[in-house]
Amino acid sequence: METLGFLVDGFGVALQPHNLMFALMGAFLGTLIGALPGLGPANGVAILIPLAFTLGLAPETAMIMLTSVYAGAMYGGRISSILLNIPGDEPAMMTCLDGYPMAMKGKAAEALAISAVASFIGSLVATVGLILLAPLLADFALTFGPAEYFALFMLAFATLGGITGKNPMKTVVAACIGLMIATVGIDSTGTQRYTFNVLELYEGVDFIIAIVGLFAISELMFFIEDRAGGGKEKIAVNKLSLSWKDIRDILPTSLRGGVLGFVAGVLPGAGASLGSFISYTLEKRVLGSKGRFGEGDPRGVAAPEAGNNGASSGALVPMLTLGVPGSGTTAVLLALLISLNITPGPLMFTQNADIVWGVIAALLIGNFLLLLLNIPLVGIFVKLLSVPPMYLLPIVTMVAFVGIYSISNTTFDLYFMVAFGVFGYVLRKLEIPLVPIILGLLLGPEMEKNLRHALEISDGDWMVLWDSGLAIGLWVVAGLGLILPYIVGPVLRRRMKAGDAQSD
Amino acid sequence: MTFNDRIFGVLMIVLAVAYGWGATQFPEPFGGGAEAVGPETFPYLLAVVLTLSSLYMIVRPDPDNAWPWSRTGVELVIAVVVLVLYAMLLQPLGFIPSTLLAVGTLCWRMGAPPVKAYLTGGIAGVVVFLIFNFALDLALPLGLLDFLEAN
Repeated sequence: METLGFLVDGFGVALQPHNLMFALMGAFLGTLIGALPGLGPANGVAILIPLAFTLGLAPETAMIMLTSVYAGAMYGGRISSILLNIPGDEPAMMTCLDGYPMAMKGKAAEALAISAVASFIGSLVATVGLILLAPLLADFALTFGPAEYFALFMLAFATLGGITGKNPMKTVVAACIGLMIATVGIDSTGTQRYTFNVLELYEGVDFIIAIVGLFAISELMFFIEDRAGGGKEKIAVNKLSLSWKDIRDILPTSLRGGVLGFVAGVLPGAGASLGSFISYTLEKRVLGSKGRFGEGDPRGVAAPEAGNNGASSGALVPMLTLGVPGSGTTAVLLALLISLNITPGPLMFTQNADIVWGVIAALLIGNFLLLLLNIPLVGIFVKLLSVPPMYLLPIVTMVAFVGIYSISNTTFDLYFMVAFGVFGYVLRKLEIPLVPIILGLLLGPEMEKNLRHALEISDGDWMVLWDSGLAIGLWVVAGLGLILPYIVGPVLRRRMKAGDAQSD
Repeated sequence: MTFNDRIFGVLMIVLAVAYGWGATQFPEPFGGGAEAVGPETFPYLLAVVLTLSSLYMIVRPDPDNAWPWSRTGVELVIAVVVLVLYAMLLQPLGFIPSTLLAVGTLCWRMGAPPVKAYLTGGIAGVVVFLIFNFALDLALPLGLLDFLEAN
């Protein structure tokens, strides 16, 4: 009941006209970001963070806008999956399987509408889940001491690659690099670390510069390398003819997909890609021979879309309650929170209740906005999709430049960003994941602080780190997160690949 | 061939050693170093973990992805040079001219016809400049177009 009261307050925040306006803007931009190939959600949100700052938005408004971008990006990913057969972002991969065949049969408009409805349902189910689960988890997390937090951070890193991850050791390398960069600057005892007496480094490396550089600039370089500037042929959209029966047909599928997605989103190491994969394969199994999966079955479009949107709302649970994100995009949202001087974690639910519940309410409202945006206005996004990357990416790069420049009006930051971009390109070539680096940058200071507190309490006894049952449990899960990819990873990856190959 | 991971692993070990050595050079924090965790403890931990995980990369490297030598490589270098020049010229030239040049060149190198490319750059520059200066109230440098400011 208490939750309901908070939620009502949250609606009070989210329904304020300017917040509503920014939510709408975010939803629109998000869909666009998701739809355009080469502009993933993490990348898109990252580019918009400096803008949210320079606009001087209130913390709750900034959070509402970027959460809407995040939700929108998950909607948008499906558009290019269906029309171009290239996923706008990774979780939209499974949508290609039935979405593209459906579009080939001249049912592109129906596929887009069905996937929008499924996204809406998946997201709605998961947001309800978020509302129910988040306060409970936040209460539970209040019992965490520094040792448990330290173990939790380890868990976050260990599971970041996901159980489908290729080489967990590379995640470890990446996490170390991120944490090392985070130690640059003056630490809490006033000691200068790795500043080399460069004034700009005293305050440490601004993680927003690092994020934008790693994502946006390296993406530009990859497009240049692939010579993908011209874009791909897209399927024309027919006139929509959708009956209530069509929507009723996909309802059970979407509900199941939403629940599965939510669970995948909350659990460490699963994430949106696995969410859409699980809900697609499960649906295929449930319906068996009744479905014509892979040939353009509407339910094959609905299942993964409900799954990935459910997962994206679910992924907000650990981010909001524990301050530990499980995906690249939620990591970027965490970056926003930290730079707004809000300490993420369970205390946020009491200290910044208006922000947390405002964001949750905005997620609900955003969903309705997105449904409206995505059914009648889908044509706009389809038009924008035909802008070839050779014009789009340079402009996106320019926006990144402007955003970073506007933070502090110095050229130094821009050089830094370009350097991070080149570094990001090299790392991606080596298949070293970028997200752990970002998480390391974000969590580094907190992690060190908790380690310090834990050891101060125990008077330097390292055993304190695995002294409680809870801490041991977290360490065990973290260990599994590193070991499981070697055992089940190859199997799962092969299956996902097999599913993917079917569509070609 | 599996050179990439090995070379990177070696580089990371060098980094880890340098980083760990750097941590030994920190001055004693004010009030003596009697505490259990000093500024150097966490860096030591990181140096050890990075060394071990890099060793793994050297011992069990993944297959290489090919590097783009030849023409594509040149294009990449051009792109990076353009970005560096963009950063360098943003203040002296001003936002609009430098954007015209940078975005235009990038579009052109990515395959757009030159006229359309620089037109895109120019329009993008003007539009973003107007949005930032008037709608968002953030001053981007005018540079060469400084004379317009008097109006």
